[in-house]
Amino acid sequence: LKALSLFEKTSTYGSIYIMFIVNRLQILYFMLIMPTYLVQPYMIWGIIAIGILSHLNLVLLFKWLGSERSAKGFEGFVELFGSKWIRFFAFLGLIPIGMKIIVITIGYAEMVQKFIFPSMDLKVLLGLVVALSAYVASQGMEKTIRFVTIVFFMAAWIILIFIPVLYLPTAFPYDLFPLIPTDGADSMWKKLLFLWSSLSGPEYLICLTPWLDLKRKERVFASIANAISVLEYLFLFVISLLFFGAANLKEVRFPVLQIARYFQFPISERIDVILISMQMFNFIFAIAIFLLCFYGAVRIGTGRHQKKKPSTRFGLLILYLTIFTVMLIVVKLMWTDVFRQHVLISVQIWLGAFTYLVIPSLLLIANRRKGIA
Amino acid sequence: MRTIRYISICCIWILTLLTTGCSTFVENNKIEEIAPVVFWALRQGENGKIKISTIAPPLIKEQKRLLSLEVDLLKLGSKDFNFKYYRELKNGQIRLLMIDEELAKQGIHSLINTLSLDPEISPRLYLVVTKGNVEDYITRQLEKQEDLDFFIYRLFKHYEANNEGVITVVNLHEFIKKLYLPYASPIMPAFKASKEDFIYEGTAFFQNDRLKAIAKAKDEQVFQLFNHQHYAKLLSIPELSVGIGHVRSKINWSIQPDRSSSKLVVDLYGSIEEYRGDKDIMNPVEVAQLNKDIQTILEDQTRELLTKMQQWKVDPLQVGNRTLKPFARPVSKQQWFKDWEHMKIDVAYRIHLLPLSNLKT
Repeated sequence: LKALSLFEKTSTYGSIYIMFIVNRLQILYFMLIMPTYLVQPYMIWGIIAIGILSHLNLVLLFKWLGSERSAKGFEGFVELFGSKWIRFFAFLGLIPIGMKIIVITIGYAEMVQKFIFPSMDLKVLLGLVVALSAYVASQGMEKTIRFVTIVFFMAAWIILIFIPVLYLPTAFPYDLFPLIPTDGADSMWKKLLFLWSSLSGPEYLICLTPWLDLKRKERVFASIANAISVLEYLFLFVISLLFFGAANLKEVRFPVLQIARYFQFPISERIDVILISMQMFNFIFAIAIFLLCFYGAVRIGTGRHQKKKPSTRFGLLILYLTIFTVMLIVVKLMWTDVFRQHVLISVQIWLGAFTYLVIPSLLLIANRRKGIA
Repeated sequence: MRTIRYISICCIWILTLLTTGCSTFVENNKIEEIAPVVFWALRQGENGKIKISTIAPPLIKEQKRLLSLEVDLLKLGSKDFNFKYYRELKNGQIRLLMIDEELAKQGIHSLINTLSLDPEISPRLYLVVTKGNVEDYITRQLEKQEDLDFFIYRLFKHYEANNEGVITVVNLHEFIKKLYLPYASPIMPAFKASKEDFIYEGTAFFQNDRLKAIAKAKDEQVFQLFNHQHYAKLLSIPELSVGIGHVRSKINWSIQPDRSSSKLVVDLYGSIEEYRGDKDIMNPVEVAQLNKDIQTILEDQTRELLTKMQQWKVDPLQVGNRTLKPFARPVSKQQWFKDWEHMKIDVAYRIHLLPLSNLKT
């Protein structure tokens, strides 16, 4: 039997992979519920503004990723914080990663339940999603990263489906007016925070540094990916406004999918079913990456990585089962609409926004303080 | 050793699943055993109940019959039908909802809400207001035309495709959108059912969720011209014995900033397709006179329709949208409808017609 290692590294992946990964990690569950949160047409400016901020943040992130310390991988982090602190940070990292896995898995499974199998039990769907991403993750980090190419080409075209909305007889440009806040805009910061959190995800690149070829010029690809994501958000938001109108939009739960459901294409009347299934690639990939990060963090946190103990699929499986059990508990005990809206998603908004904001600048500051190695 | 590990993991997994007590599929959708209904006809029953009717089985070569029920809740209806009929009725393919005039006048907000929340029901569900006894019509017609429900559905599907401006077609999504929009009144097509016929009558205007009035004949004709993509296939003016075909209109509606008055200018392009009057339409002078007459009549008809809309306090043409500007505060819904009621509207038509040619009358 060949000793397998999940975190084995045979080659590095550059430019195009970085672009795909950044783009796909930014377009997840939050994109599908985004119009319900933004509602007012003036948030079009919000998307653009947050997109620019996200670009600046990526510049900061890549300053760290391009540095020599980062190139050393795990040892670089140890150099930066010391091995005790790194274990502490790894433990701390489990919270946002775990939360992200739980929210996007449950969110996706719920969507499948609502649109494809309304009579099916949510927990079975959850199990299937977790099992699929567990399978992908068990192929190891390298194959998961390579999987992103398939993911991108399977899921990127989905946005084109929504073009016909522009030609609907009920879609007037008036639905986008007024473009300035008129209602006091007191919840504006919440919407902006939501946007910032939905664009988070690229900060997890710091966990993937050993496999990625991160030179200075790769920053351009990340910026392109960010720009694509922002355009997708903008497009979907405008489409939802045209389709529902601002007044109706906040009543709709999954606006993007509701729109897809409206089309009756000759080939398939229920295009939303195909769309959700294709979207699965995206979710499976993200969950798999996060699961591997989670496992890696557990190994670092418990000191197994430092002792050079081999990573095993068994360990990974145990983790899945733990995460899955947590999900079942969440669904069984607390998954009411109120809870979903006000607790789980709010927590995810704050955590995502926090990690995206803090990680790049924290690493840069620490790097500066240590001086150039 | 590894196999044992995998087996044990699988066991744990399956056990975890079982402890949550889940079963996968609970609905039986075997096509031979169900009857996916195509339409529901709703009318006001006694004691605030709703009477639901449908044809079963649809699209299967089997004796068809009309099923009717009186229920408190729409959803209950679809359940109770199953106690009455040997196939299970399914709503997944429902395409058409006929709402009786009386029921529509009571307000249909809760009804629409129920339908829009049902994941099985498509937002493309066509909505129709009916007058008269639909059940009678269906029962009589079933002998002559077996797939009646399907053909009525195809009727709407056909006219929806290109918005030809022949009849109004509205689906659930469009109705809800207009219900929520600040400056809009929902509309529905209105049909009149008698024992022999099912005839398109005009467009029903709603004030919020209540049926307010139905625009018929002349009003309907003008409304079609303004609605949709400003195209009407045929505009007939019996007073002048003239029919104008392939009519396109270009509408310029300028509203004063204080919303007290507005000016509506309509450019009408089309061709005279039929003329049975006594003017010589090869003669330019008389054609000019005819154009003038057409203009006067259309202006009168339009003014009449708009005045009616103002009286009914409905805005199905979404005139209020024209007051919106990208960087200005919009007026509230109440304010708009208050202003709309008292707005002075100056209507002017400019007629550009291609005359009949190569014909001597």
